[in-house]
Amino acid sequence: MSMTTVRPATAASAPATVTRALVVIEARRMLGNPVPWACLALTIWAMWTVTPEPGEWPGASYEGIIPAVAPFLFGISVAASLPFHRARHDVAPAAPVSEARRTLARLLAALPFVVVALAYAVLVAWRERDLGGLWIGMEPGRTTEALHTTAELAQLVALALVAVALGAALGRRMSRLVALVPALFVLWFVVSVYWLFGQAALTPYSMIQVQPLNITVGPSSADPLSFPSDWLLVGNPHTSEGWQRQWVSEALAWWHDVWLLGVAALLLGVAWPRSGRRALLTVGTVLAVAGLVGQHVVIP
Amino acid sequence: MNTALAQAAVPTARAIRWTPAVCLAGVLVAATVLARSAGGPADVVLAIAAAGLAATVVSGLHDPAAAMLSAVPVSVMQRRVLRLALLGLPATAVWFLLDSLTAAQVSGPGPLLALTACGVAVALWAPPRRAVVMGASTPVALFALHQFLPSGTVSDVVGWWLTEPWWVLAAATLLCVAGRRR
Repeated sequence: MSMTTVRPATAASAPATVTRALVVIEARRMLGNPVPWACLALTIWAMWTVTPEPGEWPGASYEGIIPAVAPFLFGISVAASLPFHRARHDVAPAAPVSEARRTLARLLAALPFVVVALAYAVLVAWRERDLGGLWIGMEPGRTTEALHTTAELAQLVALALVAVALGAALGRRMSRLVALVPALFVLWFVVSVYWLFGQAALTPYSMIQVQPLNITVGPSSADPLSFPSDWLLVGNPHTSEGWQRQWVSEALAWWHDVWLLGVAALLLGVAWPRSGRRALLTVGTVLAVAGLVGQHVVIP
Repeated sequence: MNTALAQAAVPTARAIRWTPAVCLAGVLVAATVLARSAGGPADVVLAIAAAGLAATVVSGLHDPAAAMLSAVPVSVMQRRVLRLALLGLPATAVWFLLDSLTAAQVSGPGPLLALTACGVAVALWAPPRRAVVMGASTPVALFALHQFLPSGTVSDVVGWWLTEPWWVLAAATLLCVAGRRR
């Protein structure tokens, strides 16, 4: 007669094993949802169709690339909201795993979407180089080789984090699953209308920040050659407010990324169980305020 | 029958979750005010509003007490119409408010009604388990496809809710009438 002995799991490894198992189960469910992938296809298509064309508004192609990510963000939020909405069922509290650990597992399971967003950002960077750059400005202040900065592309990854957090927060707090569809749709597609937040005073509060900012630098009668030679300019007939500088700032984009991380932490605080919620809300508030102040300081 | 329906109006209105719809309307009003102050073309904002409001109205068809109410002497379709009316009237009022705040080319409630009718038709004919979710997703899908499909025949057909809303409304209403016993 033989006997098989099984080594008992150590106290330290058991929670990690449970978390890993939950992550695998939740990730399989989330990644099997067709909505984010269909939305990703729409996003890639929308991004791919943005090409510089003669006669366009100066900077239109540069501005059009980033908001194309909106459908994918909507898809991420929908996929992330489902497991968090499932956690509202009364069965969950009786489970032998703490709510915080289950929440953590769901969030970790959603991280593959953030990795996909990173891959999408790389694809955007490659596409812009393949096009030979995008156009900003008009003569005498014009470039045909504009590329989004690293900070602007990092925004796509930060937005994916916000999308996960938004889906988690709404999924956890909204009682009807079906009400999530219009809520997420309106939130993501309204913020994708980037010119709503185009004014310098509103730009720091935007979710999808689109540069360049147009800053009036002189009347229509001003000589554009009198402006610094490295300024990208737009004027008559494209504007009625005189000469404007089309201003692109990597520093502004980095501070905006900090603001987005703060918003993500605040939303995670809404989705997180009571223990640990205060820490997330504190971190989120600090990051959001720092991001806002930083953007206000950077904008001329 | 009508008395029973009238008596059901208040409890049904209480059972509907109004908070998400009110928050959504608030976001749309804020976006429209921003569009007005920015002086930009507000057509896309109104199109988003039409799809969002239509999805909200269709999502109101979700009735957690549907199984329990199946025994009452009011047909399922009448209860659906009651829910649509309770949510549809405020949604139309919000639409007119948004429309009055902008000078957009898209005007009138046609797109809102067409998208709502399409969503209801899908909710009636879809498999019961996911009927309302699919119905509420229909306006969203139509908007997204119209926005992102390359211009051509398919894009034109998908965009009929915006360009030919009354014909779409008529066709979708016929589908709803055909599926009234489902």
